[in-house]
Amino acid sequence: MSKRRLANNIRKLRFFQGEMTQQQLAEKVGVTRQTIIAMEQGKYSPSLELAFRIALAFNVPIEEVFAYELAEETE
Amino acid sequence: MSFQEKNITVSLVNFSLILGFYLIRLWQLTQQGNFNAGQVFRLWGIIIVAAVVVTITATILTHIVSAIIQAIKTQAEPVIEDLADERDKFIELKGTQVTYVVSSIGGFLAMLTFVLGQPPLVMFTLLIFFGVVAQIVGDAARLYFYRKGF
Repeated sequence: MSKRRLANNIRKLRFFQGEMTQQQLAEKVGVTRQTIIAMEQGKYSPSLELAFRIALAFNVPIEEVFAYELAEETE
Repeated sequence: MSFQEKNITVSLVNFSLILGFYLIRLWQLTQQGNFNAGQVFRLWGIIIVAAVVVTITATILTHIVSAIIQAIKTQAEPVIEDLADERDKFIELKGTQVTYVVSSIGGFLAMLTFVLGQPPLVMFTLLIFFGVVAQIVGDAARLYFYRKGF
């Protein structure tokens, strides 16, 4: 089975939401700013519930925020 | 660095100091020929009380110092970031798992010395040693997970 990783577009979506800050997003979804930073850097894969909350905060479908892609694609 | 990371770093330093004190005191006891039940159990008591008191005091002080530094930096009312979200809880769980593994291996090794004919004092000495080491390794693992991700 090929190795996959959870990629996300949080940074891009924050930009398109009028340069929403990491702190603002963190407050919206109920986590710390450090968790948002860790997700943007690909150091943390959120729970399914948090993933849905983030999609809801951006008002987009979850597949626009997260993608389960092959690890080789991004390296 | 988040509040949790600061707290873990302080805990890591504290338990390293406690371990250092424990090893120095043990070395002194063996040098003085006082390695007996009374002295060893007294040292046990000191280590356990020190661990509890230092942990509580350090957590309170970390809160206060963080708030002061934040207030100086931002020139505003400090906001204490002690909210633990799912990532913090997950890291805490993984760290506790590491602590338990090290503690279990240490407990087994300590009992093994007894089985192999060493006096019970050696077993008790090793038990508290591995208890403190397990806490240090657990804290180091937590810091690693915060820094490197998982």
